[in-house]
Amino acid sequence: MSNTLLFVIVIGATLMLVIGGAVTIAITLYRANRLIVSEVVLPHLEKVMGARLPSQPVELINRKEEMRFTFEGNEYSAFKGDTIASALAASGIKIFSRSFKYHRPRGLLCCSGHCPNCLVQIGDEPNVRACRQRVAPDMIVKPQNVTPTLMWDLLAPIMRFLSPFMPVGFYYKTLYRPKWIWKVAEPLLRAAGGLGKASHSESPEDTFDKQYLHGDVVVIGGGPTGISAALSAAGSDAKVLLIDENDQLGGYLRIKAEAKDVVDELCASVYAHPNIQTLTETTVTGCYDHNWLAATHGDRLYKIRADKVVLATGVVERPLVFDNNDLPGVMLGSAAQYLLHLYAVRPGRRAVVVTANDDGWDVAADLHAAGIEVVALADERERAACSSAKMESLEAELPVFWRHIVTSAHGNTAVNAATIAPLESDGSLTTRRTRLECDLLLVSIGWTPNTGLAYQAGVEFGYDEDRAELMARNMPDDFIIAGRAAGTHMLEHQITEGALAGRRMASAAGYGDAPTTSEWTFVQEEKKREVTRSSQRTIVKGSSKRFLCYCEDVTDKDLTTAVAEGYDSIELLKRYSTISMGPCQGKMCSMNAVHLCAHANTSTVDETGSTTTRPPMTPISLGALAGQNMEPVRITPIHDWHLGQGAKMMVAGLWLRPEHYGNPTEEVRAVRERVGVIDVSTLGKYKLTGPHVPNILEKVYTNRWRQLAVGRVRYGVMCNAEGIVIDDGVTARFDEREWYMTTTSGGAGAIYEWIQWWMQSGWGDGVQLINRSDDFAAFNLAGPKARTLLKELTDIQLDNKEFPYMHVRSGVVAEVPCRLLRIGFTGELSYEIHCPASYGQHLWEQLLQAGEQFGIMPFGVEAQRVLRLEKGHLIIGQDTDALSNPIAANLEWAVKLEKDDFLGQRSLLRVVENGLKQRLIGFKVNETGPTPEEGLQIVSINSNSKQRKIIGWVSSCRFSPTLNQVIGLCWLPTEIADVDGAEFIIWREERALTAHVHHGAFYDSNGAQLRS
Amino acid sequence: MLILKCPNCGQRNVSEFRNGGEYRPRPSRPLDADDQQWSNYVFFRHNVSGLQKEWWYHRNGCGLWFLAERHTKTNEILSTFRWGPDRTE
Ligand SMILES: [Zn+2]
Repeated sequence: MSNTLLFVIVIGATLMLVIGGAVTIAITLYRANRLIVSEVVLPHLEKVMGARLPSQPVELINRKEEMRFTFEGNEYSAFKGDTIASALAASGIKIFSRSFKYHRPRGLLCCSGHCPNCLVQIGDEPNVRACRQRVAPDMIVKPQNVTPTLMWDLLAPIMRFLSPFMPVGFYYKTLYRPKWIWKVAEPLLRAAGGLGKASHSESPEDTFDKQYLHGDVVVIGGGPTGISAALSAAGSDAKVLLIDENDQLGGYLRIKAEAKDVVDELCASVYAHPNIQTLTETTVTGCYDHNWLAATHGDRLYKIRADKVVLATGVVERPLVFDNNDLPGVMLGSAAQYLLHLYAVRPGRRAVVVTANDDGWDVAADLHAAGIEVVALADERERAACSSAKMESLEAELPVFWRHIVTSAHGNTAVNAATIAPLESDGSLTTRRTRLECDLLLVSIGWTPNTGLAYQAGVEFGYDEDRAELMARNMPDDFIIAGRAAGTHMLEHQITEGALAGRRMASAAGYGDAPTTSEWTFVQEEKKREVTRSSQRTIVKGSSKRFLCYCEDVTDKDLTTAVAEGYDSIELLKRYSTISMGPCQGKMCSMNAVHLCAHANTSTVDETGSTTTRPPMTPISLGALAGQNMEPVRITPIHDWHLGQGAKMMVAGLWLRPEHYGNPTEEVRAVRERVGVIDVSTLGKYKLTGPHVPNILEKVYTNRWRQLAVGRVRYGVMCNAEGIVIDDGVTARFDEREWYMTTTSGGAGAIYEWIQWWMQSGWGDGVQLINRSDDFAAFNLAGPKARTLLKELTDIQLDNKEFPYMHVRSGVVAEVPCRLLRIGFTGELSYEIHCPASYGQHLWEQLLQAGEQFGIMPFGVEAQRVLRLEKGHLIIGQDTDALSNPIAANLEWAVKLEKDDFLGQRSLLRVVENGLKQRLIGFKVNETGPTPEEGLQIVSINSNSKQRKIIGWVSSCRFSPTLNQVIGLCWLPTEIADVDGAEFIIWREERALTAHVHHGAFYDSNGAQLRS
Repeated sequence: MLILKCPNCGQRNVSEFRNGGEYRPRPSRPLDADDQQWSNYVFFRHNVSGLQKEWWYHRNGCGLWFLAERHTKTNEILSTFRWGPDRTE
């Protein structure tokens, strides 16, 4: 079976164009023979005459300002205030996109920025929601994922042909054997599926930025509940942020002409209130710990610290799953209302409305009032179960089908008819069917609370079977849900609940009094008496494709198959089928998927639970998350001088350091033959004072410190509890109570925190540790001429007898107070000069000026590495990693295992007991040639089988100009490392490179230069 | 983002702090610990799903290492306090 499948896929893909062409022609002929009024004549009529209605009471468009824009290369006109979707719909456009997998035509579905159907590309910005984005003059809008055009997508018939062979999870089942098949299939699949195209170039128009905001009470959602909450919280004197994703407040009331005055009044109060800051066109995409909110507004990311949150995000209308429920012309009832009221666009000419609540009746009434023919209003409920005066008057004017549900939409690229069927008393379908010609099929069967942010805030939901709604089970102290998102459907209850929620959160934030328990309970009880607005029904079985997930083209059959295959928990089902992982982030599909999963498992919705809702709630551009490049870099006091000398700078941890000043080899020679100076201001530099400094040094270093005499310097290694090397450096003793520690540049911050940790948890008695790293500049003056040079600038006694190796002196150099450490990682006579950072550049320039006659050169990190390597010195973090102990790293001489308790001792004793397997050791490459790159493998080759086995790796390697040879450090098995001169193989570019072990320093192995 | 209360500085965003891992007192006499005890200290973490006592360091603030009791599932922070030889609870 799998081979057949592969065959079909490969053949299908390679012959794509041939088949595509043939099928397209076939379909054209077929269509030509089936000129159906609703599908061809009506849209044509719309295109010619337009679908714009006369002026509506709450429309947002300004008919006096007209502009042009293009969609798929054709020009359209729009009024100011039009969204791309409303302008296109007004021009009779039905198809807005092609679906992700099957390339099926898709039209407007939700018109509220939730579903994936109207995603378009604007310039280099992909996945813009056409129903949210306002038209700008001369905007260039393109459809996404079309091959090659919206109307004639060649992949649609091919996918229709292939779809039986592409069940859920078919990649996992088929495209792994033989191995090469994925390489062939992947590019084809990627090209065939997907969304818009992201730009790879930097766009100068993009000015992503970030802003921090704060609020005592942050109200998310600017509908009646949110406005009411904001006003009451602000009335309690709390500082309020009111956030809404639309460009004006009012929420669902915006489409209610009768509520216009109320909305205007509420908005005016909000805008006039000094305690309320309103953010419109702003979408909260995540609620993180302790009410840390992320919100986007165009190219700006808001990071909001909310003390308390009122969530009034309302509801999202829930699609019904029936045959061909994705055809353009099948819309949510609220979507038609948005088009009608806000943009004065006629969503269709002949409508069938399918409902299970009073909201659907409002939809039908609105259509009727706008002069759109309502062919049928099919209500799932019993006639006896509902009645209102409004209903009765409408019933007299419209054909109402009580106890009916839709079973199928018909049409090729748009709806041309719908079939409805009556229900049995137990709710099952009868066999009778009624087919109705229409070009619009509206579904209003229920609402899903928009509660993703609440899930993120830790609210748990339970499913109320009777009401077919999710209800919060718990509520944190600093977060509250109110309004339609909390199942409150009636306006007066929303207003009351919002006000109480606002007061409650304001009071929790420390402003005003909280509502009494009885006030709160009263509203909660009242709203429970409301008639539910949601149907239990989610799927109407039939014979064609029924889509749950519009984003990823997942059908109910896919999910049923997945459950049968064992992916029967909702979380597994999500991962396997990718449902709820697309641009709608589950807003359209997750409730239906949970219902299906519950049904397939003969379990309840409550037991099935729901998938974890993670941020972002809506797709967010990576640019907004990245923002501007604000990464801080650290620079030394000599930075400008380095730049002025044309130094090539490199990133070293947080620092920018000169890698070299043009010729690192010459820099090495200058140090070995004359004198050089390097800026080592990046070192960690700590001052330790107090009577018991040796105590802490004995603990954190592996060697002895108690006996170190005043005026001396000692090298030390630090380990963690595991016995792993974490840092090294030198520490000097200035006097009885004052010490000075240096660490590696990389460890400057972390080692300070490390020692502080031990000091603050019991080892700090009689010691003060101060981080002076940024206070001092430091330079290492190295080379045989270092002493002669320095004598010109200081009175400090520098002769070997007065100031020997590993000693420290204080004094004035070039009029600057300095501390001199006579140490020498370069292997030459050298002085490390530490001075106040503010004098750094002066001293640096003085040294270079005085050194001119000796041929001084400044040297960078690269020369320093070569100099160190020639001495066989390791670099912590370069030659060691998180598994390197100091004994294996050739630092055994600096570990005094027999001394009192120190960090790493207990673990190192075990290392010694068990013996070493690997060791860090020096090597020379036998032949002249390329320098092996760091990280290369060291291998042993079995001469019979030619099999290679990795036995070690190269950690440092450089060409040494002093030795005229390639040298390095590497990790080798001890049996090789312990033999001076032992040969081994470095594997480089599929070729063996022979090297041999070298014990001791490569240069000046007895240290004569160093001590001179 | 969490809000932590530094015993010195009060409530601050967690981005000012560094987490120091769960509180694991070092055996007072490491050399007396047998291999099992020592490897438990060095390599094993309790990794609790629930209340955890842990170290925090006020890196971009006063430089205090202190302890916090945090619920690892909900990120609720019950208390923060200074370490003391007799005060680790
Ligand atoms: Zn602090």
